[in-house]
Amino acid sequence: MYQALLTRRYLTSKIMPLLAALAVALCTAMVLTVWSVMGGFLAMLLSSGRTLMGDVTISWPVAGFGHYAELIETLKQSPKVAEATPVVESPALLGTPVGDTALINAVGIEPSSYDKVTGYADSVWWKPLETPLPKDKGWDDPRLWNPPPSTDRGQTTLATADQRESMKRGLERLQRAAMDLGAVDPRTGDDVPGAVLGIELGRLNQRRLGGWYEPRHVTFGKDSVTLSVLPVSAKGVAIDVQARRFPVVNNFKTGLYDIDARTVLVRLSSLQEMLGMQGATRVDPATAGAAPGFGVVTGPDGRESFAMPKEVASDPARVTSVLVRTAGGVSAADLKRECENAYLAFASRHPGEAAVPSPSRILILTWDERPAVATLVQAVRKETALVLFIFGFISLTAVFLVFAIFWAMVSEKTKDVGVLRAVGASRSGIAWLFLRYGVAIGVVGAALGGGLAYAVVLNINPIHDWLGTALGITVWDPSVYYFTRIPSRVEPDRAALVLCAGVLCAAGGALIPALKAALMDPVRALRFE
Amino acid sequence: MTLSPANPDSDAPRRDEARDAILDPGGGGAILEARGVRKTYRLGRVDVPVLRDATLSVGRGEWVAILGASGSGKSTLLHLLGGLDRPDRGGGADGANRISFNGRALHEFSPGALDRYRRRSVGFVFQFYHLLPELTVLENTLLAAMVAHGRFRYLAQREQLRTRAARTLEGFGLGARLGHRPAELSGGERQRVAIARALMNEPPVLLADEPTGNLDRATGEAILDAIAALRAARGQTMIMVTHDPSVAARADRVVRLRDGAVVSKEG
Repeated sequence: MYQALLTRRYLTSKIMPLLAALAVALCTAMVLTVWSVMGGFLAMLLSSGRTLMGDVTISWPVAGFGHYAELIETLKQSPKVAEATPVVESPALLGTPVGDTALINAVGIEPSSYDKVTGYADSVWWKPLETPLPKDKGWDDPRLWNPPPSTDRGQTTLATADQRESMKRGLERLQRAAMDLGAVDPRTGDDVPGAVLGIELGRLNQRRLGGWYEPRHVTFGKDSVTLSVLPVSAKGVAIDVQARRFPVVNNFKTGLYDIDARTVLVRLSSLQEMLGMQGATRVDPATAGAAPGFGVVTGPDGRESFAMPKEVASDPARVTSVLVRTAGGVSAADLKRECENAYLAFASRHPGEAAVPSPSRILILTWDERPAVATLVQAVRKETALVLFIFGFISLTAVFLVFAIFWAMVSEKTKDVGVLRAVGASRSGIAWLFLRYGVAIGVVGAALGGGLAYAVVLNINPIHDWLGTALGITVWDPSVYYFTRIPSRVEPDRAALVLCAGVLCAAGGALIPALKAALMDPVRALRFE
Repeated sequence: MTLSPANPDSDAPRRDEARDAILDPGGGGAILEARGVRKTYRLGRVDVPVLRDATLSVGRGEWVAILGASGSGKSTLLHLLGGLDRPDRGGGADGANRISFNGRALHEFSPGALDRYRRRSVGFVFQFYHLLPELTVLENTLLAAMVAHGRFRYLAQREQLRTRAARTLEGFGLGARLGHRPAELSGGERQRVAIARALMNEPPVLLADEPTGNLDRATGEAILDAIAALRAARGQTMIMVTHDPSVAARADRVVRLRDGAVVSKEG
């Protein structure tokens, strides 16, 4: 009982224990912040890994595979599959409206089903926005079509209801164009295939501090990009460069810098055509034009027509991947097994067909098994472990700090120890007094550190922005770290672990001084000056 | 100065009663006895004998003053009698170099039993009070009860114990000072708090080490009056160390100590 009373009084009457608690707090906050940022980075990497990918990918790169519609139908029969969509991916050269050229990843999609698998609609950037982004205090985002009159922008640039309505319609048009991947040809009024570019691509948009973007070098629907791809035969031989202009109809943003800076979405059919992956019919060249008289033949009814070459086979349209999304509650690993079974059944219906790779060769991977993601995730996991080890090691200084402070405190409280022994306190009771005191300091320090870390993690982006504005320091470069914002996430179990470690560190630091106090000769302690 | 009578309510738990019965079986004769006690301190490489065959017997309810010059070993003897320290190793076969309480040799006590002995059987009063500066007057007094009872038993009897401590302090004229810190008290008040703490567990023996040594004469006299009243009220055995013959004269018997040995017993 006396331990509780003395711990409370020692804690509130001295500055030294508060210094010890501060040391524990700083170390706890440091480790927790680092872990939260690294953990958040990893978590965002993992969740972004699914962006534009789905949960499971069935792919046969470059050459692609045929009968994908049939495969999708087979997949959809499974209750574990929510949706599946065909995709063609190919490296391409992009000529931007400002004359730059960039090596990008062209992705052909069917927007409707692609949205159901990947949530593409959410990543479309230019669309009407009702509420501003958290950091956009001035309602400066051009997508905010109806800012309140109290904002500068509301009073000046969008003063009239007509202007606001017109802006909303314009943004809705852009949104529809993104979901259609098409534009209206201004000369003919025809629908033409368009392209949706990653928001960071070619620096065509300027990112502002409020988190919003300002279009700089592109007028949607009018400016075009040129996409050049290199079709490859089934044997891997390049055929001929195919180039085509696409009007830019919108941008998308996933938050994953690598994707946002290097991906262009176009219609599936457009990219299939460019890569020679659309459906085709094989004919017997010997039969074409074989008839006499310029190839004109007379039919049984006496009517004349051109002689058609004889069809000998048909090549199905091909895609490089089918992306699959799990039904609720089904893990990606489960879905992968389901996809393997579905593909087995699908392949068995096309034995020996070149457009259908054998089940043993087709690549069926969960989103986190995709090489690009898996390598990165492994690297980040190792980096997280390394950083935590280093910071954890540094945090051991708290143990020595607590030890030094407690050593001094036990010396200062020598007479108290003598008095306690004189009234009958046992050695173990004295040891527990100081150990408990260390635990109390650890609890206070860990709680303070936890609060500090939470505040920092919660405001890490504003803090970073402030550092950039006030001091010109930019620690987080999106082109290096993939994400445009510093990710962070405080996970309760990790926080609990770090806080417990903080308490243990303080208790560890107090252990030897506590033993020293316990082993004191009470007579010498009473005579201590 | 008044002194509250001994509190007869039995708030000590049964287990401790049984334990105390072993330590203090009652009856007449010597309650504390030191026979041929030797104690040597080692200062660097030099052995300094402090007590040389010191022999003393204290009867139940007796007030004994140990008188001696500074360095004569009187405080050391008091610490040995109170179980704070142990005599040199090597008790003689004739029973020399041993201290016994109610006939039981302290050197045979385990560390835990010696702790219990200090909790229950003796109460210390020091020259420099040795109050814990972070605690209030009431908490300093209760400290002995907290140590003796342990957490749960203390919590179960907290109100009783607080009442007892408050009454004891009121008896010493400190009723209005219960919430004060030692730094806010005079020397005499601090010493009265120290005595109240020593009495908190109602030990049969009170060991006082120069209780008036740090006080002016008038305050010292008041403290001695309080101790005398206490003894009259409780019939407590008291061993008081002093270097002042006038203080020693208040005791039933005076034992003179010189160079670590008892040289005379008066009374």
